Amino acid sequence: MNLLIPEFALIISSLGLLMLGVFKKNSQKLINNFILVLLVILIGIIGVNYKDNQNFFNNTYSVDLLSNFMKITVLIAVIFTNLISSQYLRNQSLTRFEYSILILFSVVGMFTMISANNLIIFYLGLELQSLCLYILASINTTSVKSSEAGLKYFVLGSLSSGLLLYGCSLVYGFTGSTDYYVIANSFLTSGDALKFGLVFILCGIAFKISAVPFHMWAPDVYEGSPTSVTTFFAMAPKIAALAALIRFLHIPYANFYADWKAIIIVISIASMILSAVAAIGQNNIKRLMAFSSIGHIGFILAGLAVGTKQSLSAVLVYVFIYVLMNIGTFACIMCIHRKGAYFEKISDLSGLSKNHPVVAFSLSMLMFSLAGIPPLAGFFAKFYIISSIIEQKIYYLAVIGLISAVISAFYYLRVIKVIYFDQPVDNYDPVENIGIKFSLAVAIIFILFYFIQPSLLSNIADNVALNFK
Amino acid sequence: MVYAILFLPLLGSILAGLFNKQIGDKTSQILTSTFIVIGACLSILILLRTIEHAEVLQYPIFDFVNSGSLKLHWSIYVDSLTAVMLVVVNSVSALVHIYSIGYMSHDPHKPRFFAYLSLFTFAMLSLITADNFLQMFFGWEGVGVASYLLIGFWFHKESANNASIKAFIVNRVGDFGLLIAMFLIFSTFGTLNFHDVFIHAAEFSKKTIHIFGEEFNLITVICLFLFMGAMGKSAQIILHTWLPDAMEGPTPVSALIHAATMVTAGVFLVVRCSPLFEYSKDALNVVAFVGATTAIFAATIAIVQTDIKRIIAYSTCSQLGYMFFAAGMGAYNVAIFHLFTHAFFKALLFLGAGSVIHGFHDEQDINHMGGVWKKLPFTYVLMIIGTLALTGFPLFAGFYSKDAIIESAFFSKSFFSGYAFVIGILTAFITAIYSWRLIYKTFHGKYNNTHMDISKVHESGLVMLIPLILLSLGAVFSGYLFHNIYLGEESTKFWGTSIFFLEKMKEQEVPEWLTILTPTLVISSIPISYYLFLGNNNVVKTIVDMNKPVHNFLVKKWYFDELYEYLFVNNAKRIGVFFWQKGDVGTIDAYGPDGISNSVKKIAGQASKFQSGYLYHYAFVILIGVALIVTVLMIL
Amino acid sequence: MLLEYLQNYLSILIFLVIAIGLGFAFIIVNFICAPSHPDSEKLSPYECGFEPFSDSRMKFDVRFYLVAILFIIFDLEVAFLFPWAVTLSKIGALGFWSMMIFLSVLTVGFIYEWKSGALDWE
Repeated sequence: MNLLIPEFALIISSLGLLMLGVFKKNSQKLINNFILVLLVILIGIIGVNYKDNQNFFNNTYSVDLLSNFMKITVLIAVIFTNLISSQYLRNQSLTRFEYSILILFSVVGMFTMISANNLIIFYLGLELQSLCLYILASINTTSVKSSEAGLKYFVLGSLSSGLLLYGCSLVYGFTGSTDYYVIANSFLTSGDALKFGLVFILCGIAFKISAVPFHMWAPDVYEGSPTSVTTFFAMAPKIAALAALIRFLHIPYANFYADWKAIIIVISIASMILSAVAAIGQNNIKRLMAFSSIGHIGFILAGLAVGTKQSLSAVLVYVFIYVLMNIGTFACIMCIHRKGAYFEKISDLSGLSKNHPVVAFSLSMLMFSLAGIPPLAGFFAKFYIISSIIEQKIYYLAVIGLISAVISAFYYLRVIKVIYFDQPVDNYDPVENIGIKFSLAVAIIFILFYFIQPSLLSNIADNVALNFK
Repeated sequence: MVYAILFLPLLGSILAGLFNKQIGDKTSQILTSTFIVIGACLSILILLRTIEHAEVLQYPIFDFVNSGSLKLHWSIYVDSLTAVMLVVVNSVSALVHIYSIGYMSHDPHKPRFFAYLSLFTFAMLSLITADNFLQMFFGWEGVGVASYLLIGFWFHKESANNASIKAFIVNRVGDFGLLIAMFLIFSTFGTLNFHDVFIHAAEFSKKTIHIFGEEFNLITVICLFLFMGAMGKSAQIILHTWLPDAMEGPTPVSALIHAATMVTAGVFLVVRCSPLFEYSKDALNVVAFVGATTAIFAATIAIVQTDIKRIIAYSTCSQLGYMFFAAGMGAYNVAIFHLFTHAFFKALLFLGAGSVIHGFHDEQDINHMGGVWKKLPFTYVLMIIGTLALTGFPLFAGFYSKDAIIESAFFSKSFFSGYAFVIGILTAFITAIYSWRLIYKTFHGKYNNTHMDISKVHESGLVMLIPLILLSLGAVFSGYLFHNIYLGEESTKFWGTSIFFLEKMKEQEVPEWLTILTPTLVISSIPISYYLFLGNNNVVKTIVDMNKPVHNFLVKKWYFDELYEYLFVNNAKRIGVFFWQKGDVGTIDAYGPDGISNSVKKIAGQASKFQSGYLYHYAFVILIGVALIVTVLMIL
Repeated sequence: MLLEYLQNYLSILIFLVIAIGLGFAFIIVNFICAPSHPDSEKLSPYECGFEPFSDSRMKFDVRFYLVAILFIIFDLEVAFLFPWAVTLSKIGALGFWSMMIFLSVLTVGFIYEWKSGALDWE
């Protein structure tokens, strides 16, 4: 039961903090700090029990290397999101204690998704997470855009949940069980019916990770939500959904490799190409990041489609690097404010190099890294994926991936061009928040110096991939 | 010590070029100059040591190329030939560096200039210390680049830019030949190391090669291509056109590169490859013919030029011709001896000319000078010394080397020996005429400059005069001091293995009329020249009027530039424009990068429109997606 | 085998068909049988003899909505409690404590909504 400590701790403390928040006025800061400490401790707890491997509650909940890796990644994402956004929330007067607690609840949901080994548990986790996200998207009640984002996300999310549930019910109907292991062993009944179930479940998950053609919500929601929420959206839920996807594809549907490979490849190609092309026309940096994340998801899916241990490891590395790149990028975005007002247009970045040289440099390095330019970390992420694809001789996928990477380099580089070569408009406020500074430093150091010891991360990922299943 | 010689200039160049903001103008000038002066002192030590006991030193640096059977090192190779060249390069370079401190004092880009100078020196040193063809080629190209940078140093002057490009391109033609020669050598000998190639030269002397169905002697072909490279660098006829134009660069550059060092690289190459040339009589004949022709050709042009630097440039061209025909006669040591003495007096003349130009505030036309010998007393005396040395006035440096060349032509049994001999004597006479013309027109007669008053003409500062004085010492004594070592009884021992003679050199008695003939001509030229250019202007005028076509022919430099313009430049431009407009812009750009990026932009616009913001559109897309994926799955 | 499997659901299918059929039947019968003589007075919206003041689609207080949702939550909770209470003797301590945990979580939520004023009308 030791292995379930993180989940229990999360649930109990979130309920307790909810009560604290209600009964004690102005306890927002206290709650936030408590959550930060709690999450850091959780990383430690998971890290200590990292190698353990056990199933709970009649095989419905499994804790293994994969889940631990993903949980730690989620925790890192959440911790840094928290650090980055504290000043933003204060400036935007979003200092409600519910904000932090909702994030905590959604983390519970993510943990459940990551470890779920049963369709019902998976769905429960997904919904717990999603409900929190809907509220978070619209947490800025004074902003029309924020409400719109929340509403859109909610309606489309329900639609996708419906599809997912329909898929689950198909699977249950034909196999008579929601347990992954049972499903895996009962594929004899009817292939086609299970394939239908697969398609609908995949569509539901694809919505959560905003893969094309289920991505339409992403740009609007990213733009409308408060930036801190967008930061959160860009990382944590996707990690959880990806973990669930990996588990779902590799355990119950392990025997349907040929089928899900085709679907995943189609989604992946569509995501890579659409993001590369559509992002070019964007003027809002948050929308840009939405398309960028769609493209990265496309790459991750391409790696998943390969289906080997090596590709799985590449996917894990990619996810981790993706998270750090996003931490850095959003930290930079949150530096762009003047007298408390935040700016999101790409053109607002003009001449950033003049008055914020460090932020400008970091942002350009991050853009280079997102574009996959060596020797930055983003290059290695793409490199591992592409090499695992080529290993399996799926050349067309590799070629499309490379082409889309080249096209997408255009809009990343455009940001750098604006930063360095356009005329500055006015000075921005200096960056004083230590949380942002720290997060940016961590992200940049990681991205710049990843090439010194790339095996550090990839060895861990290899280990996870090898011990999975 | 040897490492220091090679790498100090590089270090100086890097410091002055990249860190001049940190160390400042003054420091970078002093630093680079000091480094080169140290190098010069060390080179002299090395030469003295080589004179005492001829030995070959080799200092490896690190592996250069290791690819298949091609294995080469970076290393420093010092034999007596290299030692001589080291002294020439480093001492002239050091003096030019010092001189430039004064000459460039008004220029805003001093550190850049010194960085280029030092870079050039480094490249030249790596050329002469190479122990294989590839490293030599590195230096060869390096000096080309440095020369390009230095000629175009005043890049805001269009003529300077054109000249630098011209120099570079004409040299590329020669380099092309050198490259082919290297390919041939590698395919024949399987190595590019000098030593390995040269000891096997005899084995391949009878080998032939098929080109266009004809059989050619392989060594001859190699040598001709090598010589093609040498012609480019050393501005021999056909490939000489860049040298006069290169005078657009600052005068110290002309002294360093276009008189003493880089242009002699071709001579050095031929002498270095003497083991190959010795096995090819035909190639030697070509060398002799081209050299002799260049000597007379350049001299005739020099007579009618009016730009002080161009006169000296053509004179250089002509003297290089002397060196080549000496080499072509098989008298490699004589060629190097002339190279050695020539370096001193030609650098002296150039720097003296620079001092004159400086004194006249950038006036270069000798028709606008005159009568200033009292105003520029030191420059005047030093220029006279240079001229005496150049013309081969007895006991001055040029006397020993030039006479040796003419004698070598006299004794040689080469096919062109008669031609070379006659031309040698004739050219010596013409050289004396135009050299004195230069002196008289510049320093004597009436003051002809209308732009500035004579009182403003001023003598240069000490920092410019001291290098001149040192060079003049070389111009006076280098011939006398070294002729025994280079040419006399000890010469065989001195040159050792660095120069290869198929037949042993013989000491022969020179007939008395020959020993008197040239000095007489040279001495008599002084009054003749005086009469022609100062005493009675009408004589020249009458001659010019009588031979108008000939005069034009000479003033237009035998119409070489016009011919090339017509033959190559225009056609090349036409082809270039075709490929640029039709090929690149019209085809590749339109359908390639531009076309693709335009269509991507269009698609991007469409894709953005797709994102309408309406919920039902989004939901519709999701359902369409599900339907599509189901279809895909069913089809597969 | 599949057919056999589906036969279990046959009764549900029949039930569905009858239900849908009935629903449609009544509407259709209504259309066919009911007398229909429309004139302009009959078609105009009628509001106690006045012309209507405003659009029939009007804003109403969001609190109605909130109360409705809160009601549903506790309604469902009760619906959940019934089967639990019936089978309590069979599911033992695990079943008992599971429901207790569920209820306590629900209570926390209830306390939150009460404290944050969701139940006050004003």
